[in-house]
Amino acid sequence: MSVNPLLMGHPLSSPEHARHALLYMWRIRKFEEAVEDLFGRGMMHGTMHLSIGQEASPTGMCMALTLQDQITSTHRGHGHCIAKGADLTRMIAELLGKKIGYCGGRGGSMHIADVETGNLGANGVVGGGIPIAAGAALASKMMKRGTVAVSFFGDGAMNEGAFHEAANLAAIWNLPMILFCENNKYGMSSSTEKAFAIDNLADRGKGYGIPGVNVDGNDVVAVYEVAQAAVDRAKAGNGPTLIIAETYRWKGHSRSDKNLYRTKEEIEEWRTKDPIPKFIARVIEEGILTQEQCDAIQNEAIEAIKAAVNEAVKAESAEPSGLLDAVFKAVSA
Amino acid sequence: MSMTMETGELINFHVAVGDQVKSGDVLFEVMTDKIDMEVEAPADGVIEALVANPGDVVEIGKPVLIMLTETEVMAFDFGSDNEPVAAVEVVAVPAPVAPVIAEAPVVAAPVILNETVKAVPKARVEAANRGIDLRTVRATGPDRTITMQDVNGAQLDPAIAKRQAANKALIAKGIEMTRGIAQASFTRSVNANFDHAQFIAAWAKVLRNRPDLAAHQHVGVALIIESKYGSALPVFRDPDQSSIADLTALVAATTDAAKNGKVPIAMLSGATTTVFDLTSYSMSSATPLLFPNQVTSVTIGYESATTKIVSLTIDLNFCDFYDGALLLDALVASL
Amino acid sequence: MSDRMLTMAEAVREAMSIAFDERPEVFLLGEDVGIYGGAFGVSGDMYHRYGAERVLDTPIAELGIVGAAVGAALSGMRPIVEIQFSDFTAQAMDQIANQAAKIHFMLGGALHVPMVLRTPQGSGTGAAAQHSQNLEPWFASVPGLKVVVPSNPADAKGLLLAAIDDPNPVIFLEHKLLYKIPGRDPVPEGSTRIPLGVSKVVREGKDLTIVATGIMVNKSWEVAEKLAAEGISITLIDPRTISPLDMNPVFESVEKTGRLLVVQEGPAQAGFINEVIAQLAGSSSFGSLIAPIKRLAGMNIPIPYAPQLEKAAVPQLDDIEAAAREIVNNWR
Repeated sequence: MSVNPLLMGHPLSSPEHARHALLYMWRIRKFEEAVEDLFGRGMMHGTMHLSIGQEASPTGMCMALTLQDQITSTHRGHGHCIAKGADLTRMIAELLGKKIGYCGGRGGSMHIADVETGNLGANGVVGGGIPIAAGAALASKMMKRGTVAVSFFGDGAMNEGAFHEAANLAAIWNLPMILFCENNKYGMSSSTEKAFAIDNLADRGKGYGIPGVNVDGNDVVAVYEVAQAAVDRAKAGNGPTLIIAETYRWKGHSRSDKNLYRTKEEIEEWRTKDPIPKFIARVIEEGILTQEQCDAIQNEAIEAIKAAVNEAVKAESAEPSGLLDAVFKAVSA
Repeated sequence: MSMTMETGELINFHVAVGDQVKSGDVLFEVMTDKIDMEVEAPADGVIEALVANPGDVVEIGKPVLIMLTETEVMAFDFGSDNEPVAAVEVVAVPAPVAPVIAEAPVVAAPVILNETVKAVPKARVEAANRGIDLRTVRATGPDRTITMQDVNGAQLDPAIAKRQAANKALIAKGIEMTRGIAQASFTRSVNANFDHAQFIAAWAKVLRNRPDLAAHQHVGVALIIESKYGSALPVFRDPDQSSIADLTALVAATTDAAKNGKVPIAMLSGATTTVFDLTSYSMSSATPLLFPNQVTSVTIGYESATTKIVSLTIDLNFCDFYDGALLLDALVASL
Repeated sequence: MSDRMLTMAEAVREAMSIAFDERPEVFLLGEDVGIYGGAFGVSGDMYHRYGAERVLDTPIAELGIVGAAVGAALSGMRPIVEIQFSDFTAQAMDQIANQAAKIHFMLGGALHVPMVLRTPQGSGTGAAAQHSQNLEPWFASVPGLKVVVPSNPADAKGLLLAAIDDPNPVIFLEHKLLYKIPGRDPVPEGSTRIPLGVSKVVREGKDLTIVATGIMVNKSWEVAEKLAAEGISITLIDPRTISPLDMNPVFESVEKTGRLLVVQEGPAQAGFINEVIAQLAGSSSFGSLIAPIKRLAGMNIPIPYAPQLEKAAVPQLDDIEAAAREIVNNWR
C-alpha cells in the first residue's frame, strides 16, 4: 500500500490521533448513510445491515492494530472494514455490483475482504468468522509473526456453538486473539435479556478461563484503552481476551426490519448517547481539536464518501463471463 | 444425355397408345445437337397417351409420352411428386398413383405394427440410418425393448430397399455406358477449405472460361447427394453467376430436400458436368465416373483435416490431355 | 509381502510425512491424532517425529477445529484436518460448505483456502448408522470443494500429496475397511503425485463399462477378473476425484462397449454416481448404448447394525457379478 491508512495509538494522545479517530467515525457514519440512501433509490441489490450508532467500537479497536493484524467481521461489517483501512470506492463498488468492487460483484455487503489491510472478510453466517479468527491467530503463533487476530461479532453470536468452540480453542492454545463482542442488545429481534440467562456477558470469559472485559462501546477512548490492553496481552503471549462493548444500533437489523421488538423511547434514548458528538465534546474540552477542525473533519468525511460513490457509480458492471473459472484458485503447474 | 440439352426435336414414336412395353424398350427418338437419341422405357408398363407430335421441338422436362408403370420408377422419383423421371425425364408417370408403395410391400413375415416402440439408443440410431421403421421390428429384449440384435436382423423397409436396388442398377448401367468412352483422369491435392457452393461455383467458372470444351451455352453442375433413398443428382445451373450467398442457400436447401427424398423437377436436368464429394465416406480419391453425355466429372476426396484431393475425368473425344490438365490446375488454383 | 505393499493407513501417513518434510506450513490437527496416533492409526508415530507443534490434538469441537483450519489456511498455513468419522462433518458443515468452499469465489479471488479435510467413511465395521455413512454427494454437490475418493493405497498417497499442494479446499474420503490392508499394487516411493480431476481406467474390456467409487472399485475388479475367465471383458473406471469429475474415459469406453454399470456404496437416492449417469445420458455417447444404464448402490436406509443386515444394505460381490452378467447377456 502506498499510504498506510491506519494510525495506532490513543485517540487523545495527539491532534493527529484525535483527528484519525473522529475522521474514521465520520467516515463510517457517512458511508452507512450513503448506503441507506442508495439502497432506498433502488441502486443496491439485496439488503443492508447498517451499523449507524456503533462507530466507536471498531474505530477504537482498530487504533490498537497494525495493518498486518487480522480481523474477521460480520454481516454488519462495513464499520469494521472501514476502520481497518478499506478503500471506500471499492466498498461502494462492491455494493453496486461493479467489477472493481472488493469481490468483483460476487460477494456483496456481507463478504467484503481486504487482504492488504488484514481483513479476512465479513461473514454472512452468525459466528462464522470466530473460529476462522482463531485459526488466523493459530497461524500467527505457529509462524511466529507476532500479530493478533480480532474477531468482531455481536451478542447474537455468543450463543452459537462456533463461539463456544472457538473461545475454548483460543483459551487452551493460548492464542493471540481478541474476541470483540459488539453488544447492541439484540440479535435480530431477540433481546439479550431473553437470549441469555446471565446479566453480565463478560462472565462467559470465566467459563473458558479467559478475561472478560466490559466497556462502553460508544466511547471510542474507552474502547481503545481496553483494546490496547488486550492486544498487549496477546502479543506478550498471554492469550485471548473477551471484550463486551455495549452499544446500540439506530437502524433495524436489516432493511426489512420494522423495529417491532423495541420501543421508540429506547431508540431515542440511545441516540442521545451518539459516540461522535460525545468524542467531539471531549476533544474540544481537552483542547486537542477546535470546533472548526471538527467541522472540517466531518466535511472531509462527507467529501470522501461522495467521491467514492461518484467514482463507483461510473465503474463498469461485473459480467457473468468468467464465473465458472472463479470457483477454484488455479493450480500452478 | 438429355441433361445437357434444353430442347430436342421429337423425331418419331416407336410405340402406340395401349402398347405393353418392357423396361428398356425404345419409346421414341429425339434429335439432339450431337446425335439422335433413343429414349427407352424406364420400367414395364403400358402406353397411356402421346402428348407431342413428331417434328415438335420439345423442352426438356416436359412430357412427351405418358405411360402407366407396374412398378415404381426408380432413382429420381422423389416424394409424392410423380413428375418426370431420371435421365429420361420426358417420360411421365401417372400423377394420382402414389409411387412409394404402389403395390403390397414384399415382406417375408407378417408385419406387426407396434405403436409404442422401446429400443436401446444405438438401435434407434441404426434404424434411422438404414431406413428401418422400428414399428416393424420384433423386440426380443427385456420389457419388449428392441435390441441391436433385433435391428441388425430386421428387414429393410421394402420400398426403400427396392429403390436402393434399382439405384444400384442404374449406376451399373451408367458405368456400362461410359466404359466404351476414351477418357483420362487427373488428380491434385488442395490445401484449402471450401464448401459445396464454393466448389461448384469455382468449377463452373473454370468451365465457363473454356467455352471451346463445352457443348452448351450454359454450365450445369450436377452434385451427387446420397440419402437413404439412393443417389440424387440435382443440377445447379450457372452457379458461378449467382451470388455466393444465394448459391450457398440453394445448395443447403437442395441438399436437405434430397436427403428427404425430394428434388425440385427443375433441377433434374441441364447437367454439363458432375461433382461427387467423397469426403463423408472418408475416401481420399476415386476416379470420377463420366456421366452420359458429359465431358467432365469431378470427385472431392479427403486426405487430412487440411488437405483434400480433387480428381477430374475428361472425355477424350472432346477434351485432350493438355486441356484436361489445365482445367484441373485452374480449378485447384481458384480454390 | 514386499515392503512397498503398504496399507492405506501407511500410505496416507507416508504422504503426510513427505508433505511435512517438504513444506513447513503443513500441519495436522484433529481429535486423537497426536499421542494416540489417530483413531484408525493413520497418523501413527507422526506426533513423536514432528512434535506437538505440528501434530495438534484438539478437543471434540469439529466446527471449531475446521474453522480454525480455514483461518490458518487463510493466513499462510496448509492444514490437514482429520475428522474422526465422516458422519461428524455434519457438525462442521458451516465451515466446510459456507466458508471454505465459498471464500475464493465470494471474495472475488482475494483469498483462498489451501486446506485438506481427511475423514474415514463407509460401512462394514458394525459401527451402525451414525458412524458408517458414505457422504460423497454432500461434498460433491457443493461448488468450491474438491472431493477425492482413493480406492487403494498407491492412489491414496499420490492423490493426498496433490491435494495438499492444491490451493483449494479438498475433502479426502478414506474407506475404513481399506486402512489395514494393502492394495493390488505397490505404493510408489518418494514424493510423487497423482493429479486431481483425472479418472483412471483400471482395466480395459469390450463388453461392459463399470464406473465405481472407493471400495466398490475393488469389488468390481474382482468381478471383472472372474468374468474375464468366462470371456466377458470389462472396462473398469475409477474416477478417483469425484469433483471435479473427469468423464472423458467414460464417454470413450461406453462408445466401445455400449453398456454401462455404475456402482457406489452410498444410498441410491441422490447419490454421487447419479452424476455419471446424468452426464452420460445427456452426451452424444448416449447413442452408443445397446442396453439401459444400470445402477448399483446402497439401499435407501441408514446403515443397520447386525452384520447380515449391514451387508444387505450395500452392494456386494454377488450383486455386482449378477448385474454384469445380466446386462451383457440380455442386451446384445
